[in-house]
Amino acid sequence: MFKKNRHAGLSLLVIIFAALCLPIIIAAGIAQAHGVELEYVERNAIEVTARYDTEDPMAGAQVAVFAPDSPAEPWLTGTCDSAGRFFFVPDPEIPGLWEVQIRHAGHGGLLRIEVDESGISPAGTTGFTGPQKLLMTAAVIWGLVGTALYFSRRRS
Amino acid sequence: MHIPDGIISASAAVSGYAATGGLTWLSLRGIRKQYVNPRTGIPRAALLTAAFFAASLIHIPIPPVSVHLVLSGLMGVILGWFAFPAILVGLLLQAVMFQHGGLTTLGINACLMGLPALLAYFIFRLRYVFGWEKPLPNAVLAFLAAFLAVAFGALMAALLIVHATPAYMDAAAERTAVMALSLAYLPVALIEGIFTAMVVIFLLKVQPDLLEGDRR
Repeated sequence: MFKKNRHAGLSLLVIIFAALCLPIIIAAGIAQAHGVELEYVERNAIEVTARYDTEDPMAGAQVAVFAPDSPAEPWLTGTCDSAGRFFFVPDPEIPGLWEVQIRHAGHGGLLRIEVDESGISPAGTTGFTGPQKLLMTAAVIWGLVGTALYFSRRRS
Repeated sequence: MHIPDGIISASAAVSGYAATGGLTWLSLRGIRKQYVNPRTGIPRAALLTAAFFAASLIHIPIPPVSVHLVLSGLMGVILGWFAFPAILVGLLLQAVMFQHGGLTTLGINACLMGLPALLAYFIFRLRYVFGWEKPLPNAVLAFLAAFLAVAFGALMAALLIVHATPAYMDAAAERTAVMALSLAYLPVALIEGIFTAMVVIFLLKVQPDLLEGDRR
């Protein structure tokens, strides 16, 4: 009787021990599900800066990136930050001419970026410098003034 | 108001070209009816095309955006039927030189600025209906013509941009941005109205025949 009781007491201890351990094991299991694995690799990103020709940044402008294999469906869409910047990493598996369309209230433009297996083409721009613009404007105005002078000449 | 390439659909661009073709034909017919010798109108048209071309480079900062003069009202008031071809040439030069606007959207842009110019011309012609010779009523009419031309153009551009937003762009955000831009055209309309009225007063005093050319 005593011997049997002792066995029963031992079993009870095991059960209590197990009951105490169970939540700890479960908790440990849950804790494991909260674990996060982080890793990083180095990639070449493209930084697009959108400015009006007054040098004001196009803050909040909408951006659509088109991969070379689907010119109608955007590969990625997003918004420029307050400095008119937008970052994206093109898929090196899709080489060719990537197109970035920037749009804000009907203003906007299209930027073409060449991406091949070896990497991304160096920096590019769509604009002209100030002196270039000045010369072009002067040339056009001179042409129009010349037209005016030509047609207003007196018939001899 | 200059819509760049890739913002509107191809069908809209094609209809813009079609409308511009029709309006150019209408304008050339108007010129032929109005002038005994159409060559006499060309110097004026060439000089105002130069002004139109350069005006888009002068920016007026109206926070949060910056807009530029359009001069469609002035073109209509002074050039009459010559305004539409002049604007078409000016827009072509702007698109090719500065990518201001675009070649695919040239037709749409010519309508957006040329139609308001013709509207301004018809408003300003009311002075012959009323027989106004004094500077003040003429100046008021010129102000009204230029103001309504800019407002009409901005309204058409806003409607077009909102309706032609591609599905992948956020239409709501674009609508808010367009609203802000359209409101910024209100001061531009005022400035252009005052400027056009001043030019008309000046021409009436110095060389009235520059305006009289459109009497018939």
